[in-house]
Amino acid sequence: MLLLDYQNVLIQAVLTERFSGAPPVSIDQTVSDFDGVIFHISTPESKSKIMVSLQIRCYKDLVRYGAEQVLNREYGPYVVAPEIGYDFSVVVDLDNLPAEKEARDELVNKISLLKRNAMAAPFEQAYQEHYRLREEAAKFTSEEAPQGVREGGTVKAIQYREEEAIYVKASHDRVTVIFSTIFREETDRVYGKVFIQEFVDARRRAIQNAPQVLFRNDPPLELQGVPGVNNTGTGEVGYVTFVLFPRHLTPQRMPDVISHIQTFRDYFHYHIKASKAYIHSRMRRRTADFLQVLRRARPDSEEKERKTASGRTFKQGV
Amino acid sequence: MSQSLRPYLQAVRSSLTAALCLSNFASQTAERHNVPEVEARTSPEVLLTPLTIARNENERVLIEPSINSIRISIKIKQADEIEHILVHKFTRFLTQRAESFFILRRKPIKVVGYDISFLITNFHTEEMLKHKLVDFIIQFMEEVDKEISEMKLFLNARARFVAESFLTPFD
Amino acid sequence: MANQTPAVVMDNGTGFSKLGFAGNDSPSFVFPTAIATKGPAGGGGGSGSGRPAVGSKPSFLTGGAGPSGHLSMKRGTEDLDFFIGDEAINAASGPGYGLHYPIRHGQIENWDHMERFWSNSIFKYLRVEPEDHCFLLTEPPLNPPENRENTAEIFFESFNCSGLYIAVQAVLALAASWTSSKVQDRSLTGTVIDSGDGVTHVIPVAEGYVIGSSIKSIPIAGRDITYFVQSLLRDRGEPDSSLKTAQEIKEEYCYVCPDIVKEFARFDRDRSRFLKHVVSQPGGRQVTVDVGYERFLAPEIFFNPEIYSSDFLTPLPVVVDGVIQSSPIDVRRGLYKNIVLSGGSTLYKDFGRRLQRDIKKLVDDRIHASEVRSGGARSGGLEVQVISHKRQRHGPWFGGSLLGQTPEFRSYCHTKAEYQEYGPGIVRRFALLGGPGGS
Repeated sequence: MLLLDYQNVLIQAVLTERFSGAPPVSIDQTVSDFDGVIFHISTPESKSKIMVSLQIRCYKDLVRYGAEQVLNREYGPYVVAPEIGYDFSVVVDLDNLPAEKEARDELVNKISLLKRNAMAAPFEQAYQEHYRLREEAAKFTSEEAPQGVREGGTVKAIQYREEEAIYVKASHDRVTVIFSTIFREETDRVYGKVFIQEFVDARRRAIQNAPQVLFRNDPPLELQGVPGVNNTGTGEVGYVTFVLFPRHLTPQRMPDVISHIQTFRDYFHYHIKASKAYIHSRMRRRTADFLQVLRRARPDSEEKERKTASGRTFKQGV
Repeated sequence: MSQSLRPYLQAVRSSLTAALCLSNFASQTAERHNVPEVEARTSPEVLLTPLTIARNENERVLIEPSINSIRISIKIKQADEIEHILVHKFTRFLTQRAESFFILRRKPIKVVGYDISFLITNFHTEEMLKHKLVDFIIQFMEEVDKEISEMKLFLNARARFVAESFLTPFD
Repeated sequence: MANQTPAVVMDNGTGFSKLGFAGNDSPSFVFPTAIATKGPAGGGGGSGSGRPAVGSKPSFLTGGAGPSGHLSMKRGTEDLDFFIGDEAINAASGPGYGLHYPIRHGQIENWDHMERFWSNSIFKYLRVEPEDHCFLLTEPPLNPPENRENTAEIFFESFNCSGLYIAVQAVLALAASWTSSKVQDRSLTGTVIDSGDGVTHVIPVAEGYVIGSSIKSIPIAGRDITYFVQSLLRDRGEPDSSLKTAQEIKEEYCYVCPDIVKEFARFDRDRSRFLKHVVSQPGGRQVTVDVGYERFLAPEIFFNPEIYSSDFLTPLPVVVDGVIQSSPIDVRRGLYKNIVLSGGSTLYKDFGRRLQRDIKKLVDDRIHASEVRSGGARSGGLEVQVISHKRQRHGPWFGGSLLGQTPEFRSYCHTKAEYQEYGPGIVRRFALLGGPGGS
C-alpha cells in the first residue's frame, strides 16, 4: 500500500453490505479514523434506518470556515440533527434508496468520505477566496495593488490534532497550506527530517509541476500573528508548507487536490512507520546471519561431550 | 574494502588472537566462585593492560584482557544523526537477542562512546573454536558498517520515493 | 489524546484475524490472517539466510533519477507491495503474488510478515494513528515470553503505540461469558473450550492465570467436521460434494442430539427431518443436495470420535473431565462450575447442553463410586455448568472489547514511556485485567 485511501473502509463495507439488499439487522458500532475522528454507525429507530455520526475535534474551526454549507451541499436530504455527543449526523433509509446501483454506490462513497468532506470546507473557502483575489488583482499591476489584495486573505487555522494544526491561506496567485508537525519520539523526528527533505527536493529534482514544499522550524511569515502559533524557539514544532499554484487551483482539480493534501500527515507518519518495519526486517535477517557465523565457531563433533555440567554453569554465569 | 580498513581489521584480528589466551581461573576473593575477572575486577593482578585500536576518531575497538576472560567493545562509525539512530536501534535489537549470541554483552561497557560489547570467557574458548570466534568479531565489524550505510541509503531512497509518490497526483 | 480514543482490539488467530474497537459488540473486520507478497509462496521470509532481496545493493539508488523513472522505480519498495486478508487471497490467485500465513498453531512464526500485516491492519483497515490509541492484543496460552517481547518491540518501536496490553485468549473468552445470564459472579476461574478451525483446546484458568500443565488439545475441530460431512456426502453420491458445500451444510443444518440411536429412529419415523440444500454451482447451474443424518452425526465426532478418526478416540467430555481432574484440587469446583465455550465450532445447537450432561454424568458416577467405597459417606454433589452465550463465535475478541472499554483499562496498559524505561522485558508481566481489584 503506497497511498492512503481517502474514504473510511469500514463505513464503506458496512453500507455496501446493507445496501445490497441483505436482511436488515441492527448495527451499533463505534469506529475510529485518523486524527481522533470517531464515527458511530447505528440503527437507533428501526433496522432499516442507518445513522452515521461524525465526531471531529476541530468541528468548531470547520464550522467557522463553512463546513455546514459543504456538508449540507454533499448530504443535503440525508442530514439530520446531530446525535448527542457527535458533531454531524446523516441518516439513510434502506427502504428509500436510489434505485440504480450506480447511484447507490455513489451514496456509499459519499458517506464514507464524511471526514474528508468535513475537513474540505476551509480548503474550498480558500479556493473561492483565491478566485476572488485573482480577479481583483487582475485589475492592478503588482506595484499598485491595494494592501488587501497583495497580502491575500486571512489565515484559516484548523487545530485538527491536539498538538498539530493545518493553516490555509489564500492569495491572488497561490493558496498556501501549512502543516505544523511535532514528533514525540527521537527516531521519528530523525526519520521525519529525512523524509521532509525529500519532499522539499522532489519538485526541484523530478516533478516540476508539483506544489512547492518548504520546511522550517520556526513559524513561517504567513503565520505571524496568528493566534495559537507560538514561536517557542525550541525547534520542536516543524512547519511544512505546501504552496499550491494556479495549475492546482482550477475548479476541476479542486476535489482531488483537497482530498489528497488532507492525507499528508497520516501518509507521512504511515511511511515513517513502514520504513521502520522494513529496517526491522533487515535487522532480523542480519541478526540471523550473524548467528550463523557464530554457530560455525562451535565444532559439531565435540558438541556431545561438551554438554556437561560445566557447559551449564557458564551459561548462568554470563 | 578501503585502504585503511584492511590494516585496521588486521590489527584487531592479531590483537584479539593474542588476547584470547584464556585459562580457567577460580575467583581469589570468593570461595568456589568462578567469575570473569575482567567484569569482577576484584584482583588487579590478573587484569592485563587494556588496548585500544582506533581507525579514526569515530571507529575504534577496546580490548580488555584478563586471565580468564576478555571484553571487546566496539565503537561503530556514526557520521550523522541518522547513522546514530540506526546504530542505536541495531545494537539494541542485537542485545535484545543476546541470549542466543552467547558472547554478546547485554549492555555495552560503561566507558563512554562504545556501542556494543562482547565478553568471551575461557568457557567459551573451550567450547568454541578460537579462530572462528575471532572471525566472527571481524565479520561483525565489517558487516555492521555495511548494514548501517545500506539502511541509511534505503531510508533516503524510500523518503524520495514516498515524497515523489505523494506529489505526483498534484501534477 | 489516547484518553478519548477507543482502544484497538486485535485478535490474530491462526486462521482469522478479528480487528475492531473496544466497546463494540462485534469486530469491525474479520479476515484471514494471510499476507500476499511479491514472489512465490513459501520461500523467502523467515528462513534467516540472506538479506531481503531488495535494497541490499546500493545500486538501486541509481535508478529513479529524473522524472522518467520515478514511479516505475519499483525496486526498493517491494516491502510496500502486499495485501492482507481477503485481498491477499484474491491477489494470490493471480500471478506474481505468493500467499503466506504468518501465524502457525496460534503463534507468530514469521515476524516480518506479521509486522507488515499489522501495519496494514492499522493504517488501511482500522485507519488509526497508533500513537493515539491503546492496543489490546491476544496470545495463545503458553506463548513464550520472547514472543511477547518481540510483539512489544514492534508495537512500541515501529508503531509508537501509546499503550499495549497482551491478554491470553482463554482469559478473554472467560470475560466474554460475563454477558451470559447464567454468570453471576464474574470470576476469572473456569474451563475454556476453544474450538476453532484447526484444533480444539481445553484450557483451565484459575483467577485469570492459565494452568499451563493441564491444557489438553484435541485434534478435532471445524475443519474435521467439514471433511466428515463431505465424506458422508460422497458416500451417498450427492451431485455436489465440494468442501464449500459441506461447509455450508455444516453451518446451516447441523445440531447436537442427545442420543444418536434415538435420533436415527426419529429420522426414520419423520421424513420431514431430511432436508434439501440448494447449491448454485459456477455457471449458474443449481443442484439439490440431500441433507440427512449428517445433521446430527457431524458434531457428534466431538462426543464419539471413533466414527471419524481412528487415532484419536477420547470423547470431549472425558477430556474436559480429565483436564479438570489434573488441575489443583482447590480450583476444581470453580472449573466445573464455569465451563465456557468459545470459537466457531462450539456454535451447534445444544452443544453446551449435551456437554454439560455428559460431564455431569462422569462426575456423578465418580462421586457415586467413591461414596460406595467409603461405605456410607454422603457427598454434597458437584455443580457442573457449561455456559454458552451469544458472543461465543468471537469470544476472545469480545472479551477484549469488554475489558478494553473499562475506564481502568488504560492504567493496565504498559505505555511507551515505561517500555523505554525498562525495555521489552516489561511485557512479561501485566496486571490482571478484570481480576480481583478490577471491575
